[in-house]
This record gives sequence, C-alpha cells and structure tokens, in this order.
Amino acid sequence: MIEVRHMKKNFGELEVLRDVNVHIHPGEVVCVIGPSGSGKSTFLRCINQLETATSGEVLYHGENILDKKYDIRKFREEVGMVFQRFNLFPLKTVLENVMLAPVLTKHKSKEEAKRLAMELLEKVGLETKADAYPAMLSGGQQQRVAIARALAMQPQALLFDEPTSALDPELVGDVLNVMRDLAKEGMTMIVVTHEMGFAKEVADRVIFMADGYVVEEGKPSEVLENPKEERTKTFLSRFLTA
Amino acid sequence: MNIQFYQTILPMLFSGIKLTFMIAIIGILIGIVIASLCGFVLQSNFKIIKIFVEAYIWVIRATPIMVQALYVYYVIPKLIGLDFKANTVGIIVIALNSGAFMSEIIKGALLSIDPGQKEAAVSLGLSNFQTMIHVVIPPAFKIALPGLFNQFIISVKDTALLSVITVNEATHQAQNYAALSFQAIPTYTVLAVFYLVIISVLIILQKWVEKKMG
Ligand SMILES: Nc1ncnc2c1ncn2[C@@H]1O[C@H](COP(=O)(O)OP(=O)(O)OP(=O)(O)O)[C@@H](O)[C@H]1O
Ligand SMILES: [Mg+2]
Repeated sequence: MIEVRHMKKNFGELEVLRDVNVHIHPGEVVCVIGPSGSGKSTFLRCINQLETATSGEVLYHGENILDKKYDIRKFREEVGMVFQRFNLFPLKTVLENVMLAPVLTKHKSKEEAKRLAMELLEKVGLETKADAYPAMLSGGQQQRVAIARALAMQPQALLFDEPTSALDPELVGDVLNVMRDLAKEGMTMIVVTHEMGFAKEVADRVIFMADGYVVEEGKPSEVLENPKEERTKTFLSRFLTA
Repeated sequence: MNIQFYQTILPMLFSGIKLTFMIAIIGILIGIVIASLCGFVLQSNFKIIKIFVEAYIWVIRATPIMVQALYVYYVIPKLIGLDFKANTVGIIVIALNSGAFMSEIIKGALLSIDPGQKEAAVSLGLSNFQTMIHVVIPPAFKIALPGLFNQFIISVKDTALLSVITVNEATHQAQNYAALSFQAIPTYTVLAVFYLVIISVLIILQKWVEKKMG
C-alpha cells in the first residue's frame, strides 16, 4: 500500500536518512523504534512531504507520490498524521477542530461533517467535550481529539509520531487504548513510539531504525525479544534497565 | 470667553473631528490591506519582493510623517503631473504611514503562530491558502489586534499634522480660528480637551476589545 524505496534525506551536511526501504501492507500496524535523532520523525515527515526527501520514491497504490506532478494533497487526504504535540487549532472548539478538514476538502455538508465528528468523538470518549476549547483539555484528551480529527478524513492509513511522548504517564493508557481499537478495526498504521509494551502487543511488525538505516525488522517477538543485530540489542537493553 | 465663543468653536471642531476620523479610518483600513500584503511577504521567502517591502518600510520609518505629507502633496503631483485634493493626500499619507508600521506587527503575528498548526492543517489535506485563511490568520489576527488598534490611535493623532497641507481637520480649524479671533488660549485648550476625550474613549474601547478577545 505504501512502499518507501531508497529514501534519502539530508539537512545540509547532515545525512539523516541514508537508504530507507519499507513496505507497508493494507491493514498492517508497523511500529518504528530507534534512538533519539535516528530519523524516525524525518522518515514519517518525508512520507507525507512535510519534509522533502532528498531522493528516493514513495509508492502509494503503485504511484510515486514524490513525483512533482503528483498532488500531495490527495495523499494527505487519505493518509492522516498524529503529532507528538497534538497541534490542535487553539481558537476552534473540539468539534470545529474535527469538522474543519472534511468540510474544506471533501465538500461535506456541515451537518454530515458534524454527525461524523460527534460519532468519532464518542469513539475516543470525548463526546461531552465537543464544545470545549483545546486549552481546557488534558494532554491525553487533546491527543484523542487529534486522532478523531485525523479519522474525520476517513483515512486509508495513519502516521503517528510518538503520540504519547508528551503525555503524563497516567494519560498514556487512554490514548493507547484508542489506537489499539483502531488496530483491531484493521486501520493501517505506522507508529513511531517508545512504548515497547504497545509495540509487542499491537504491532504486526517492528522496525528498528538507527543511523539512517532500517537496521532490523520483523515480528515484535523477533525484534523485541530475540534481536539479531548488536545495535538493536544495545538499544533494547537500555529500555529494560530503564 | 463667552457663549458665543463656544457657539463658534465647537461646531468647527466637530466638523474638523469628523474629517479627522474619516481620514484616519479610511487611511488605516487601506493601511491594513497594505500591511497584510507586506507582512505576508516579510515572513515568506519571496526574496525580491521582500527587498521592495523593506525599502518602503525603511523610507517611512526614517522620515517624519509631516515631511511625508508635504512630499506627497507638493512634490509627487509635480512629478507625475496629477493633482490631488488635500483630503485625498491625507488619506494616502495615513495609509502609507500606518501600513509600514502595521506590516511589522502583522509579520510578527504571523511568525508567532506555531508551525505545528500549519503542519497539522496541511497534513489533513488543506491547501496552503485554506491553511492561511482558517488556521493561521484567525489566531494571528488576535495577536496583532492590540498593536493594530494602537496604530489606529497614533494615526488619529497624526492627522493633526495634516494641517500643514491644509487638510481642514480639527487642528487646522483651531489654528485658523485662533489666528483670526486672537483667542489662542481658550481655542487650543478646547482643542486639547477635545483630543483628550476622544482618544480616551478609544483607549477604553481598546481595553474592552482586548479583554473580550483574551
Ligand atoms: N528541519 C531540520 N533541520 C535540520 N536538522 C534537522 C531538522 N529536522 C531534524 N533534523 C535533525 O535530523 C536528525 C533526525 O531527527 P528526527 O527528528 O527525525 O529524529 P527522531 O528519530 O525522530 O528523534 P526523536 O526520538 O528524538 O524524536 C536529528 O539530528 C535532528 O537534529
Ligand atoms: Mg521524533
């Protein structure tokens, strides 16, 4: 469904992605782990072109979306993104946050968008907060609104960039539960995360990234419990002792 | 100082202040349009247009508004062979002057918006234009508003300087009257009180708007 081929990304002199190859299949949940600064965020951002990859291809249903002729808005409408810092629109209510994109891009009527938005807010357990402003919500609630906002586009897949890293520990669970439900419903997801428990339980595949490469990938039981590469072992040992 | 004095001076000042407000309001509205375009350019990477915008702001900041008024009234018409009415020049000068100062305010407001919000918007498939209109401008406007209002108050006061190009606003009317009637003390006292009251109302309004928005 999404196939990344030979992706390279430099920031000036700095080579962040050297040669990344990843193939995501429909319905798959792929967790990306790796040390800080290894390029995990950059990898996601180059897929939906918040950053421009230096070279390589991203095939989406067989079409190279990095091609200049491709209108990236089409891909972004179909593949949503959830950010570490939520990035809700502060002057809009929860409901308005969720409704905005479907109304603007899909030419959905306001009523239709509102019905869908309320349904999604219920799904993430926040239907009572529809008229609240983001600043009135906890981090965990804001992140669930951000997920509902992404879902309002009825996406084919979702990209998550450390969705729980900015949260107080006691708020992480609610967000992971929502993501777990999505996985059960068959949503295709690429999740950059440090939540090893979540990866173990939910991921179909785990990718370990370091130094701009995919160092190791496979079933969670393989990569997380019996890593083959030295680099992966060192990284994971830090988590066990932590 | 008697009833007759007030019967003459007050209507003059009222008609003058009407003109003051007309020039200040139209001038500042055009100024906001100029400033929005220039502010947008300043925070973008349109390198060449940016140089022109910066040059414009520099010229306005580095010359007194009175000189700007004299120049637009006496020099520019000669250069381009067109004549403008004094009031029109007044509006042009207020627009150009306030536009330059408000460009910086708008640029700052646009830059203060968290880039994460723009990223979230485009990640949902919004175009850059939709992102600007629905996600960036509303909070930026809120941030810019106190500064814009402040410039409006400055521009209302600046209209007094347009008396040098014979715009018949309040100050100019008062000058004429004082010269003819030899009553400088009461005339200018009334004029000063006039401005004091009007600007105070604007300051109260500004506080109220800020509270409303905050
Ligand atoms: N816009 C940018 N300009 C310059 N360098 C950047 C930019 N974005 C990221 N980098 C650099 O690229 C490298 C990879 O960053 P990235 O954010 O992708 O890492 P990460 O794996 O997501 O790390 P973390 O776990 O801390 O989020 C880092 O060294 C970072 O400093
Ligand atoms: Mg990151």
